[in-house]
Amino acid sequence: MRDSVVVDGVGKTYASGVEAIREARFRVVPGEFLSLLGPSGCGKSTLLMLIAGLLAPSHGRIRVNDAEVKGPRRDVGIVFQSPVLLPWRTVLDNVLLPVEMLRLRRADYEPRARDLLSMAKVDDFAAKLPHELSGGMKQRVAICRALVHDPALLLMDEPFSALDAMTRDQMGLELLRIWDVHKKTVVFVTHSIREAVFLSDRVLVMTPRPATIGCETDVKLPRPRTMDMQESDEFNRYVGLLRHSIETGARP
Amino acid sequence: MTGRSLLWPLAVTLGILLVWEQAVATLRVKAVLLPRPSVIAAVIWSRGPLILEHMWPTFYQIVLGFLLALAGGVLVAVLITYSEIVRKGFYPLIVVSQIVPKVAVAPLFVVWFGLGDTSRLLLAFLIAFFPIVINTAAGLTSVDDDFVRMGRAYMGTRWQIFRKIRLPHAMPLIFGGMKISITLAVIGVVVAEFVAAQRGIGYLIVMANGLLDTPLMMAAIAALSVMGLVLYGVVAALERLVVYWQVRTETPRGGFA
Repeated sequence: MRDSVVVDGVGKTYASGVEAIREARFRVVPGEFLSLLGPSGCGKSTLLMLIAGLLAPSHGRIRVNDAEVKGPRRDVGIVFQSPVLLPWRTVLDNVLLPVEMLRLRRADYEPRARDLLSMAKVDDFAAKLPHELSGGMKQRVAICRALVHDPALLLMDEPFSALDAMTRDQMGLELLRIWDVHKKTVVFVTHSIREAVFLSDRVLVMTPRPATIGCETDVKLPRPRTMDMQESDEFNRYVGLLRHSIETGARP
Repeated sequence: MTGRSLLWPLAVTLGILLVWEQAVATLRVKAVLLPRPSVIAAVIWSRGPLILEHMWPTFYQIVLGFLLALAGGVLVAVLITYSEIVRKGFYPLIVVSQIVPKVAVAPLFVVWFGLGDTSRLLLAFLIAFFPIVINTAAGLTSVDDDFVRMGRAYMGTRWQIFRKIRLPHAMPLIFGGMKISITLAVIGVVVAEFVAAQRGIGYLIVMANGLLDTPLMMAAIAALSVMGLVLYGVVAALERLVVYWQVRTETPRGGFA
């Protein structure tokens, strides 16, 4: 099976001299839900920006869908920490922004955009402006936008960290439901251990800056995941394991 | 502005006019010093054609000067945003040059460009230009990095990011600049007409002043004020159409009143 993402000995030192990532090496298989877990400021967002082609690595190579990353790619969708919806565009027009940017025909993608909105349960708001939506709804719209051009890879940079705890759990479930239908490869950055365990097939723990990949854990909880699983011993065993490896900065 | 919010200012204006009327009549102030509002109204009516004749060139110059300032101002702001040389070399100059009182250079313009329309237009342009530049540049550069990053992630070109993200983002600030500019353009044209013109409201005011025809002078000032108000109103109405996404909050009201 060919890999969705190959991060091959990648490091990033900023022009300011700050070494964000020393050495990262991992692969993501198609359809996998992978989380990058680490404390704030450990360079995990930087790593995501490198995969997105928004930053260039100082050394090493990154391949996405068997092509070397040299800049932003059309087969990648990205969700940021904040929804970054354009306030003058309706929800539907925000979702269709990538289609416009990529100079695709709007008419071909509008039905898909509407389907995504209805799957994310925000279809009633398609004609509304973003300021009429709650924080959780805005982030759902941002997820729809990331999926509208049908990218094979979805990159998510702490997408739920600005939401309250209850909305956050709900959004996790919704994301898994969408992921189940659309079968994308997901690379998900988070600093929440529980979130990483709940969502992922595999969790990579990143050490503090300059980052390397610490331990790697396969989460073998059955799918579909349910909220009740968060109470299970197995779930909490994974949480404990990951917490321990973050605290000790364990390396493989 | 809603009909309700217009009610109070209108009532107060009417009250002031009534007090003025009554005070001038009671104290027997000469019309050459301060004519009664009813006298001014009568002059506006009887000499309407004369006032209108002088209003047209003034109106035309204001609008033209303003539109030139808008086009030039946005263009320079774009250069400031995208060219490091312009931003580092010229932008500070532009900001500092704000200190020069533009009306003070009006006589200089007469020396350079004569008594014709060019002087008036240039002064209107110059005075209306700066608020547009500064506001537009502030608007174009204040876009959150995340928005630009998002645009780039979806393979937006520089032009697409400008057209679809930066420019709409700057719109509220551009309109803020336009509202300042349109009132400044009125000042620019009228001052230039004081200094050098054979027609226009500014000229009419100076001429009436020379004849000690205070009622005509005040009628001309009133006409000018109405024109300024209408021009401002047009820009404000356009703003509501273009910047439709801005959440407008009503003036806050106190507690349980």
